[in-house]
Amino acid sequence: MSEEFEPNIVAFLCNWCSYAGADLAGTSRTQYLPNIKIIRVMCSGRVNPLFLLNALQQGADGVLISGCHPGDCHYLEGNFYARRRFMLMHKLLEHVGVDPGRVNMSWVSASEGVKFKDVIEEVVTSVKEAGPMDQFRRRQLNW
Amino acid sequence: MGDYKFAKDKLAEVLSSLGDYQVFAPTPAGDVVRFLEVKDPAAVTLESANSTVPPKELMFPETETLFKYRLGDTGLDPSVPDASARRLVFGIRPCDAMAYTIVDNLFSWDFTDPYYLNRRENTTLVGFACGDPCANCFCPSMGGAPASEKGLDALMFDLGDTFYVKTLTDKGDAFAKAAGLDAAGDAESKAAEKQAEEALGKVKRSIDTAGIPEKLPSLYDHPFWEQFSDRCLSCGICTFLCPTCHCFDIQDEAEAFNARRARMWDTCMFAEYTVHTSGHNPRPTRKERTRNRISHKYSYFPEKFDVIACVGCGRCINNCPVNIDLLDILEKSKQAEGKEAKTA
Amino acid sequence: MVDLKELQDKAKEVISRDDVRRLIGWQRGTYGFESAPIVVTDASDADKLIFDPTCVQNPASFITLEEKRPVPRGQEPDTRKVAVMVKGCDSRAIVQQLVEKAYPRENVIVMGMPCRGVIDRRKAAALFGDVTPDEVKLDGDKVVVSLNSETKELARGDILADKCMRCRYPNPLVSDELMTEEVEKWGADEFADVDEFEKMSPADKWKFWEEQFSKCIRCYSCRNVCPMCYCVECVVAKLKPQWTRRSTDISENAAYHVQRAWHLSGRCIECMECQRVCPVDIPIMTLNRKMTRDVKEMFDYEPGVDVEAEPLLACYNPQDPEDYIM
Repeated sequence: MSEEFEPNIVAFLCNWCSYAGADLAGTSRTQYLPNIKIIRVMCSGRVNPLFLLNALQQGADGVLISGCHPGDCHYLEGNFYARRRFMLMHKLLEHVGVDPGRVNMSWVSASEGVKFKDVIEEVVTSVKEAGPMDQFRRRQLNW
Repeated sequence: MGDYKFAKDKLAEVLSSLGDYQVFAPTPAGDVVRFLEVKDPAAVTLESANSTVPPKELMFPETETLFKYRLGDTGLDPSVPDASARRLVFGIRPCDAMAYTIVDNLFSWDFTDPYYLNRRENTTLVGFACGDPCANCFCPSMGGAPASEKGLDALMFDLGDTFYVKTLTDKGDAFAKAAGLDAAGDAESKAAEKQAEEALGKVKRSIDTAGIPEKLPSLYDHPFWEQFSDRCLSCGICTFLCPTCHCFDIQDEAEAFNARRARMWDTCMFAEYTVHTSGHNPRPTRKERTRNRISHKYSYFPEKFDVIACVGCGRCINNCPVNIDLLDILEKSKQAEGKEAKTA
Repeated sequence: MVDLKELQDKAKEVISRDDVRRLIGWQRGTYGFESAPIVVTDASDADKLIFDPTCVQNPASFITLEEKRPVPRGQEPDTRKVAVMVKGCDSRAIVQQLVEKAYPRENVIVMGMPCRGVIDRRKAAALFGDVTPDEVKLDGDKVVVSLNSETKELARGDILADKCMRCRYPNPLVSDELMTEEVEKWGADEFADVDEFEKMSPADKWKFWEEQFSKCIRCYSCRNVCPMCYCVECVVAKLKPQWTRRSTDISENAAYHVQRAWHLSGRCIECMECQRVCPVDIPIMTLNRKMTRDVKEMFDYEPGVDVEAEPLLACYNPQDPEDYIM
């Protein structure tokens, strides 16, 4: 068996676009990599940066936040707020030495099943390059 | 109990000859000095007046696992961490050593705390007398001294080129033997005595504590607390850096099926310290919290254990960002007009 | 220079007003180069007020630190104003608090103190040790410290805080009345320290922060002293859900500091109080200044300068940068 590192990635997908995009990928039998654990949220604007930190603390190697394309938000502007927020979080984590490839954001609409697959591939590749995430992981319970 | 000495340039040698012990000594990181396990004897400093974080963390760590357990079919499977290692704290100041003797009261009171007491028992304390007390030291007022022997197994003096070591207990003798120290003569012990006396004279601040423990309860509702609490940040500096503050919180931490029960430092200066499940907080403002900190140290603790929970190390004064000065509070409390004591 | 008598008289006049509840300023500390904030509630205490380069604390923090006590039945809530003395940097905290609608503008009376710099306690201790100076004042380009009937002249950079050397707002940006005439601006901020830090490799950066975060004892003094940290319940105190655990270890400490820096991005007004108060010398501002710089570059936004501005993360621009989004 190969010892290749298979990253654990938490994906926060918005209910209206990206989750539907993932659904479309599924129904149209477009296979995407199984490294992601999807958490459905109502809007990318609902994703608190704490979720991201907490995912990293609990053992995720990377995080993906995905929402509707700018201008297409079901709630009109949620993804605009999310964009600012995660732009800052991305820069901040880079500043403390977290590989920028671990924090990803994408716009995937409900009709983009194939794009969803491509995004997941890209995310998995970049997290694989970054390697296992040990920096924020809770260590005291490894026994 | 004997008199020993070793040359100053032999310090690293002495530290590395203590292979039987797990040795802790003041180690600087930038301006911050902490008692860390000695990995590299060259990194140890005895220059600083006192460590930033008190060595209480060696007996009562910031965060400590009490036991671990698994959720599910195995039920509770507590495995208490082993604390039997022989430890030696090198270069602890007399005030911090005295603090242990105060905190011992609490940890061996209605419940004997094995975590703290095992460590205490297995630890040898090699003190280092202060030649030059810092601006806010007031140990003599609290029953200590720059060269106090309370709670120590051995006491070291800096005599220029040599360290003079006076052993005080069997544990101290064992240390001297392990380190292979040379015997010292009368000259050294005289010099040390003289230094101790001089250092005592250099302590600038003092407080007469007579009557304070009895008076504080009568100031329960007194407005004088507000001149301090109004500028209090309600942060944990004074209590976390206090060698005698010993409050802790216990929390369960779980990760999937693995869990542990841990205790961590807590402080009466935080609002959430007293908050009830209902949301009610009996100490809702900084006034009650400031009052509690002082009253606990200077009134409730002596009432129970007959000793004031303060050793005069001055850390709370040195580190307070808004200059809340313990001695100032105590002086003002003496001037304040008390009311009939309220039974709390 | 401030005429102390004039300042105290003015303060007396303000605190004696019927519509003023308390006045926040500075008083002399009990030792060394210390000063202490003071909350004056009675005109007789106004004589304790001072203003000199030892007045480092940010009084704006104490507006939001004050707990709201429950109003006893049958009584009206106390709606009287709070007067606060602020230096240039402190005033930015008030501006930002107003931007966030922490309290209505008419609730505070801002007494502006144009300032030419405050001392860094660590620098002073390194220079003078444990002594208590008689007077510290700024004279032209020099800081004059008198102690034991001696006077020592120092270059400003030797003893003043680093933030003062690059200060761009020495004059209060919001004030009802200036206590002295405005001073001339001198500083510029190129964020050279941030650029320097960014040259490090990710591994080196983490090595640096791992060491720094490991020191943290979680006393939360950085949070409590911060004029912008005034959430009713801080997320680290929350138990349901408990995002950050109380235990101190690198994971929780790092999460705490990253959370705080993120929450302050676009809000930090660089009074540097967090870094000053830290008992274990964590360079917290290295995180906050990075965010300040990026916020300025990416969104052309500077917190705490315009009362009319919208909070950074409560607004957006459709053209915001999104270079890392797939």
